[in-house]
Formats: sequence, structure tokens, C-alpha cells
Amino acid sequence: MKNLKLLLGILTLAFISSCSSDNAEIDTEYPVIDITGANAFPIQCSTIERGKTFTFKATFNDNAELGSYSLDIHHNFDHHTHSTEVNTCETEAVKSPVKPMLFINNYTIPNGMKSYEATAQITIPADVDPGDYHFMIRLTDKEGWQTLKGLSIKIL
Amino acid sequence: MKNALSMYWKYCFLLIGLLVSIEVFSQNQPSEKKSEIKELDEVLISNNTVQKRKKEESLNVETVNNSFIQRNLGGSLMQSLQKLPGVKTISIGSGGSKPLIRGLSFNQVIVVENGLKHEGQQWGADHGLEIDQYAVNRVEIIKGPSSFIYGSDAVGGAINIKPLPLPSQNTFGGSVDLTGKSNNAQFGSSINLFGRNKNWFFDSRVTTMDYGDYRVPTDVVHVYSYAVPLYKNHLRNTAGKELDFHLSTGYSGEHFKSVFYFSNVHTKSGFFANAHGLEPRNVDLELHDKSSRDILMPYQQVNHLKVSNTISFQLGNHAFETQIGFQNNFRREYSHYVNHGYMPAIYPKDMYAPKDLERQYDKDVWSFSAKDEFRLNRHQITVGTNIAGQENAIGGWSFLIPAFTQFNAGLFAYDKIELNEKWFLHGAIRYDYGKIKMKSYYDWFQSPVSENNQTQMQYLQRSQDLTKTFDSFTWSAGINYNPGNLSLKANLGSSFRMPIAKELASNGVNYHYFRFEKGNPNLDAERSYQLDLGIEWNQQNWSFQLTPFVNYFPNFIYLNPTSAHDIYYGAGNQVFEYEQSEVFRYGAEFQTRYYFLKSLSAEIAAEYLYSEQKSGSKKGYTLPFSPPPSVLFGLNYEPQINFLKEPYFSVDYRFTAQQNNIVPPEKKTAESHVFNVAFGSKVKTGNQDISINIQIQNLFNTRYLNHTSFYRLIELPEAGRNIIVSMKIPFSFSR
Repeated sequence: MKNLKLLLGILTLAFISSCSSDNAEIDTEYPVIDITGANAFPIQCSTIERGKTFTFKATFNDNAELGSYSLDIHHNFDHHTHSTEVNTCETEAVKSPVKPMLFINNYTIPNGMKSYEATAQITIPADVDPGDYHFMIRLTDKEGWQTLKGLSIKIL
Repeated sequence: MKNALSMYWKYCFLLIGLLVSIEVFSQNQPSEKKSEIKELDEVLISNNTVQKRKKEESLNVETVNNSFIQRNLGGSLMQSLQKLPGVKTISIGSGGSKPLIRGLSFNQVIVVENGLKHEGQQWGADHGLEIDQYAVNRVEIIKGPSSFIYGSDAVGGAINIKPLPLPSQNTFGGSVDLTGKSNNAQFGSSINLFGRNKNWFFDSRVTTMDYGDYRVPTDVVHVYSYAVPLYKNHLRNTAGKELDFHLSTGYSGEHFKSVFYFSNVHTKSGFFANAHGLEPRNVDLELHDKSSRDILMPYQQVNHLKVSNTISFQLGNHAFETQIGFQNNFRREYSHYVNHGYMPAIYPKDMYAPKDLERQYDKDVWSFSAKDEFRLNRHQITVGTNIAGQENAIGGWSFLIPAFTQFNAGLFAYDKIELNEKWFLHGAIRYDYGKIKMKSYYDWFQSPVSENNQTQMQYLQRSQDLTKTFDSFTWSAGINYNPGNLSLKANLGSSFRMPIAKELASNGVNYHYFRFEKGNPNLDAERSYQLDLGIEWNQQNWSFQLTPFVNYFPNFIYLNPTSAHDIYYGAGNQVFEYEQSEVFRYGAEFQTRYYFLKSLSAEIAAEYLYSEQKSGSKKGYTLPFSPPPSVLFGLNYEPQINFLKEPYFSVDYRFTAQQNNIVPPEKKTAESHVFNVAFGSKVKTGNQDISINIQIQNLFNTRYLNHTSFYRLIELPEAGRNIIVSMKIPFSFSR
């Protein structure tokens, strides 16, 4: 009986000591893609013209340090996916792609940035299929948290 | 943050409080142990056998039987075992789940059925364990490193599904199990037929299950910010069905026994249609909402076949056992073709894979094992060997892991020394060798590759011919001391796990998560060292059990999310790379039961786990799928009612704390409060007792998230109220 109490005492102590952790702060926040600015482009339901170059503009924020980002334009003629946004845009009828635009590129962000005004020039070839497209923004921070934004856009 | 800290302390105080109250309780006079005989189908196994096993085993072992499973019946075997502290699941939908023992899962926990190591696609979170829970009679859950028994992979623990007890001589009978569930409108039935003359026997079973979409307590879920309406609370396209066959047959004599096992488990189940993994999907709502029972795209089909023969015979002092086995796991995942990355917009006509077949894995495993158990004075010695070979083929238009072949062999010796009735010592050593051979793979489509400002279209090589070998020496040492009502145990052991093909050689985009997963051919075999303690007290009206552990991995294999995106192999997706880091973990489970009256008892079961990466890119972070602390409070009433046998009524309340300890890409999960009610009884009819069990899970239809659910990342709540009625009707024909 005495042994039991001693053991329980030790275990109680072990619990107390295990509860006082060395709370080292770790980053648990996702980076933020902000497209609410006046000159942010594209935004949900934006239209882009073929044969022209447009400038992607967005503001990225993170509590600690931004990582990198990538942009992706792919067709949504079959309406296979919806955007990540609240608003829905008017879509054309479902159709088969012939020569859909495909754009994938990744971009670096200078080290040590908590806020970054991203800009990128993207040229839409003149001969691609017009229609409903998706514009995907993937942003990471240094720790590997990733935020996705999928926008519905139209290529005219 | 402040809130989280205060929660933390609250929880600590709760545990400390419990321990103090135990010390007060423990001054009660110990009295005679309650010996209770439980009926296990055809044979009688007394509770004492389980107790004896616990007292003579230095690892922490929990044993449950089919009446536990029946009372706590969930959508799958692991979900039915979740009431045990330290045992959780990584589940998908209402019918599939993987075991999560003390925060470790996938290839770190092994499942053994009838002595055969279950080999499926253990690494995937989006499908369950291919086991028919109706065919389970007794399960042993080892919460701790058990590599010395099972070889590679048993780092976190083992789920050992014991062979069915043989029918008694000159019997012919069976049973019918019927189950209905309100939440997903599930109907299940399982029919068992067995028979035996003097030495020859058979035991067979057919299980069918059919369920609709499961319902959640909300009519809209948000996939990112996009609002997805749910029709009548149904989680669109999560219906499924299952059809399983089992047969065991053979000869059992006085010194010789040979048993053939055959089983085939087949499931088809849908994925939530509005998100394939993390990708938001547009769906034809009208088509999907027409019926809640149809299984449309995306869905998966898994077939698991097992055939084995176990021979046991006695030669003098020696008990020999050999087993040969074959199993095939065939998994296919279907979804509408979507040209991710550089895949062509229109699916080519002459492709090797059907247009809707996204992934296919076909695994064949051959295995052989032999062991010899004998006594030498106070030593009970077991020596044995296992050999297994496997061949893995891949298919479908999406690439994640290459095809590979694998060979494993192991040799072990285990000694249990019975010093006297109270003291037991254990020692085990094991040597393992493993070889894995991965095959080359090229994309079926071209990607643009830029070199010196020139862009060329190329078929990318995703994997190369690569052979890796591993060997490992593991050991384990333990002690048991059982003075009277108290039992104490301690075990120190090492375990290992050979890296799997996915960790060594994956090189593709997992579009379920929008991530480019990159294997690392330089990984070492994962090692783990663990100290397990156990303290148990059993007396007539009161029992308790505390099982703390400390665990250290010098080289835990971890899929690290980096900040980079890859344009060529990753088609613009975030790069996740396999790395190894030091990991330190500790935790404990606690269980106590107190009988206020002979018929009324209260139960508390709690669990706590802390994991931290001590080196590498995610130093300071936890591990993925870390279950938050939880406490279960239960009241159980078992009155004496004349015309009923063993009636029971129980109420459970599970408090699960919030989980703020996360690692990318996880999200913090809020606390939850869930109530369950269960009641049932056996009804005497002739020689056989019909048992009826009724459960109401999530009594108040609470909306909550489960941190370790596959659907957690897209914020899908857990199932709402679920009324489960199950019935077992045994029958026999006497001869």
C-alpha cells in the first residue's frame, strides 16, 4: 500500500512537470492573398483580352515571412471546378477545348518580406480558345503554410 | 493564445485532481476479485484469461471481444474501438478509417488478421482498413513498439485480430447479424454458419452493407470561401457498399491442427463530390441530389483477398506453428478526367488507362512464417522467422508512386521468464533485412522544359530504377510485478520501420492536396525508442489503469511542406519533401471504473499526447494528425430484470479539447462535446440468446470537427445524430 502511494505520488509529480512545457512560439498563421486593393488584377469575374499582355497585381501578407508564389491559368470549359470565392460569375455553356490557354509559372519573393506587392506580366496568345478560365494563385510562407485562391475569369 | 494556455492548465489540473482522488480512493480495502464469465460465441473464454495476459505482458495491451464491438458499433472496425483511450482513427466518410494509436498511424501501425500482416495501401488517408468488423471475434491492441514480434512497421503499435475460436465438437450452427443506422440509412447483415464433427470443421460468413450519403448538422459547408449547399444535410456522394466473404476450414486433432483461411473484402464508396481532396469541384446538383444512395464520381473501389494456411503441432515440449499466406489488395480511384498541369486538355483516345481511372494500385504479397515455442525451466522461449515478398503495380492517369517489388525477412527470439507468481521478466531480440526495388516511370504527356532559353517539350521521367536495402536490429526488455490487486509493468524497447516506396520515390502532384510530393532516396530506416509504464489496480468495486509512455525517434520520416513551388515536376504546386527529424513524444492514458452499486458504475477514460519535432525544418512543430487530449465520462446501469439477460443502459460524454498544436497544412480545431447513449440486452429464446443493441451516437446532433478526419482540411463537420440498431440471432442444430 505504501509503495502504491509512493508510486502515485511520483506519477503525479511527473504529470505536473510534463504540463509545464517550454512554450516556444511557432508560426501557425497562413499567409494572406489580398485582392481587395484598387489596382489588384485579376479579381473574381475579371475579363482579359487575347493577344494582349496584362499585369497581375496582388498584395501578399504574412505574420512572419513570405515564401514564394505560383500562378496558373487553366480552362474551365467543362465547369469542372468552382472558384474559392463567395461570388459566382456568369459562365458560358459547357464546350470542348481546342487550343485552351495554359499558363503555369512560379515566382520568388525576396527574403525577409512580411508584405509584398506582387506584379507579373502575363501575355495571352492571340490564338487560344476564348471562354471561362480559372486563375489560381498559390502563396506560401517560409514555414510552408499555403493559401490558395481560385478566381473565375473570362478570356475574350 | 492565452485561452489555449488556460485550457492547457485546466486540463493538467483535471488530471492531477484525478490522481489525487485516486490516492484517496485507494485506501479502500481491497477485496476478492470479481470473476465474470463472458460468452464468446461458441467457446467460453473467461475474463481471467484477458487479465492474466495483461499481467504477464510488459507492453500495454487492451483486449476487446465482439460484444464490445457490438455495443460500440461504428462505421468500421477502428471506429468501433475508438472508446479505448489512446486509440483513435483517421477516418474518411462513414465507412472507412485507419487506426491511430497514440498519434501514430499509416505504416507505423500494423494490423494482423489471423496471424497474417495486413498489407494494403496503408499510407493513404483517403481510404480505410479492409477488415470486416463482423468477422472479428477478439482484438488485441498493443499500444507500443512491437517490431520485435512483427518486424518493420510496428513502431506505433499493433492491432492483432485473433483467429476465430474453433467450433466445439459435433456442432452445427450459426448466427445472423442485422444492423441499421439512421444517419446514412445503412442496412447491414452478416450471416455466419459453422460446423464441426470430431476433428473437421468449417466456419463461414457473408457480410453485406449498403449505405447512403451521411448527414451532417449543417445545410451549407464552405470549401474555402465558396458556399456549397447541402441537400437535406447530406454530404453529397458519400454513399457506399460492401460485400465480404470468409471461410475458415480445417482439421483439429490432439497434437495437430491445420486451418485454411479465405477472405475477400470488397468496398465501393464515394468521395464528397464538391471537393476532390482540397480541390473545389463543380457538380451537377440535380444529378447528385436525385438519390442519396447512388455512388457517382469521384469514388473508389477496393478489393482485398486473403488466403492462408496455419499449421500447428506439438512435438514433445515444443509447439510449432507455420503459416503460408497470399494476399492481394486492388484499389482503384475513379474521377472525371481533369487536365491538371501540363496534361492535354482532351484525354487521348489511345491511352493505356480508362479515362475515368485516376489511380490504381495492385499489390500481391506472399508470406511465410514459422515459430517454435518451448519451455526451459522458468523460461518460455519463442523463436521464429517471417519472410514476405510483394509486387506492386500501378495504373491510372495520375502518378504518385512508382511500381516496386519488396522483400523482407526477419528472425527473432523472445524469452519470458516467470520468476515466481508475481514477477515476470521479458527479453526479445530481432534482426530484419529488407530490400525494395523501384521501377522507372515516364509521364504519358509532355511538359515544357527550358534549357538555355530554349523550351522543349519532353516526357518527364518521374522515377528511376532504384534498389535500396535496409537491415535492422531491434530489442525489447520488460518486467511485470503483480502483488495482489496491483499490477505494475515497465517496458523499454526499440522498433524500426523501413521507408516505403512513397517516401523513397514519390515524385508527382497529389492533386487531392495541391501538393507536389517529392520522395527522398537517401532516407534511413526509421528507428524508435520507447519507455512504457503501466499501473493497474483491480478490486471488486473499483479499478483503475494508468499507462504513461515516453518515445524518441532519432530519424522520424516526415513529409515536410516547404515554401517553394515547382514548375516542372510539380506543375506550379507547393513542394513537399520527405525529410527525417528527431521527434520526442510523451503521453498517457488513464481509465477508472467505480461501482456505486452492483448494477451502477461510473467510468472515466482520458488520454493525452504531446509530440514535438526536435530538429529539421519544422523544429518546434508537432506531428501531423496529433489527436487532442480527450476525456470520456460514462455511466453504466446493468439492472437485474427477470426476462432479460445482461441488460445495460449507458450514457457517455466525450470532451475533446481544442488542438492548437498544428503543423502545415493543418488547421486549429476547436473543442467538442459529444454525448452518446447505448442500451441493449439479451433475450432468452430456447437455448440461444438473441442480443439487441441500440446506440444513439451524437445525441444532440452537435456540429463539430474532428482534428484527425481526412475531411478536416475542408472543414466538413462530423456526422450528426445516428441511431444504430443491431441484433444478433444465433441458431444451432443439435446432432
